[in-house]
Amino acid sequence: MNQNVTNPIIEAKDLCFSYKNEDGIPLPVIRNLTFSVERGSFVCILGHNGSGKSTLAKLLNLVLTPDSGSLSVGGIDVMRDDLSDDDIYNLRRRIGMVFQNPDNQLVATIVEEDIAFGPENLGIAPDEIRTRVDEALRAVNMTEFAHHSPSQLSGGQKQRIAIAGIIAMLPDCIIFDESTAMLDPIGRAEVMDTIESLNRERGITVLHITHYMDEAVRADRVIVMNHGEIFLDDTPGAVFAQVEALQSVGLDVPQVTALVHKLRREAGFEISEDILHSADAVKALKELYESI
Amino acid sequence: MNNKISLEHVTYRYSVGTPFEKTALDDVTLGFEQGIITGLMGHTGSGKSTIAQLLNGLLRPTEGRVLLDGEDIWAEPKKIGAVRFRVGLVFQYPEYQLFEESVERDIAYGPGNMGLSQEEITERVHNAARFAGISPDLFDKSPFELSGGQKRRVAIAGVMAMEPEILVLDEPAAGLDPAGRREILGGIRAYQKEKKNTIIIISHSMEDMAIYADKLMVLDHGHVSRYGTPHEVFSHAEELKQVGLSRPQITKFIMELQRAGIPVEGGIYSVDEAYREVLRAFEKKRMGG
Repeated sequence: MNQNVTNPIIEAKDLCFSYKNEDGIPLPVIRNLTFSVERGSFVCILGHNGSGKSTLAKLLNLVLTPDSGSLSVGGIDVMRDDLSDDDIYNLRRRIGMVFQNPDNQLVATIVEEDIAFGPENLGIAPDEIRTRVDEALRAVNMTEFAHHSPSQLSGGQKQRIAIAGIIAMLPDCIIFDESTAMLDPIGRAEVMDTIESLNRERGITVLHITHYMDEAVRADRVIVMNHGEIFLDDTPGAVFAQVEALQSVGLDVPQVTALVHKLRREAGFEISEDILHSADAVKALKELYESI
Repeated sequence: MNNKISLEHVTYRYSVGTPFEKTALDDVTLGFEQGIITGLMGHTGSGKSTIAQLLNGLLRPTEGRVLLDGEDIWAEPKKIGAVRFRVGLVFQYPEYQLFEESVERDIAYGPGNMGLSQEEITERVHNAARFAGISPDLFDKSPFELSGGQKRRVAIAGVMAMEPEILVLDEPAAGLDPAGRREILGGIRAYQKEKKNTIIIISHSMEDMAIYADKLMVLDHGHVSRYGTPHEVFSHAEELKQVGLSRPQITKFIMELQRAGIPVEGGIYSVDEAYREVLRAFEKKRMGG
């Protein structure tokens, strides 16, 4: 099912992209992909390794150019022949990206200088940079670390600084390419809370690529990729109700969802199939238990 | 307890004598039991990776000793190379360390340096590839043509093929999809069962370690805060939280069911166990009327 989009920030139609192997033979990674993303929404992209998730992220951020199809980002047709360098810079500012490894994204020796790096390169006036850096630190809840060295921070804190560096460029959309994959559970929770608040409180469109099913539960919409195509596209509840379909493409469901599914399927429990949150599952099981 | 390898009052400082001197481990004593899989867990910066590198002699303790079968691995520093054949280390993201022309040659590189016969090398390569989930029809490919997950397996197979007495893997499943995680961790489990060697897996994933590890060792700021079976370790919820870890989602869920008045037993850490436990509680009420 494709989602109802009225004010798209991203619109892709029949998008194709191939890498070439050593012999020049194209290996299709994105195949005729058609989808759009509502401005201000929180979309999670799931898929097994090699399903095309990261390639898609690079296409949306103009790191890669599509082979064919159409792609419009922030209302600009990125496949236009007369796209200027200015257009590309402007688009990359508006569509920020946060990557996987917290140690590869910070460039300065002091946290606030790292955050200022982006806006400085955009030629922003110093006063304005100061304001943006302070605001970005607040947005990721790291104000007290402004004068620390990034090397003193935990993985989750480093990722939040990387996010702040993007926020300081006032993006419309941020793409998180497995930004939680290398973090410990606490770091992961910190980054997910930050991502969620950027979306809910600041209206920034979020595309979050992840292998953690419990993170996808927090999104408005989940897109599951398989072999460069969209395999499922729906609300988290509807997507995770399809346990067998997800398993057939190398994915899983959150543990509580898996338990509920198994109880319904194998033991005939009468519980709704789109339960995602622990509290709802507890409530449903309690009702069943008391009705015995 | 029969420790295969242990640290005895080990202190390790990085960049000694520079302004960046930092103590990563301070007087740590711990041991890893022979012939089991131990999950080494802890928050970022808890000292896990430093311990891994001390175990195979990549780092030398600033103070204290590393004992392998009771003997100090640094007794004769010139022979430390031999320790690295006995203690294999798979780094995080090992797929960036492949370099040979073909998958088969990459896996054969380690055993090839051990003075083994060609037949023995070939047998080990096939065996390791099987455990790591590399099909022989990939043997002639360039490692660089493979997907990230396949490259990871080739790198792990390369260390398995050396058949070290101790295999240390730093986050072997990081960044893989759920099916890929299961295949790699399941392969390591099967390899351990056959070789009966000692395996240490560094991981952040409570869910994975609950299934694949025999014992868990929890580190906090360079010290062992808890050691035991997954069952024992997960029963200390508050303590785990304080050291930046948490119990599997399903374990917490069962506790919530308990609080809601459904008489399920705690100490559950997989979906299958939870399923059986919920059924048992419901069945009991049905029978009891």
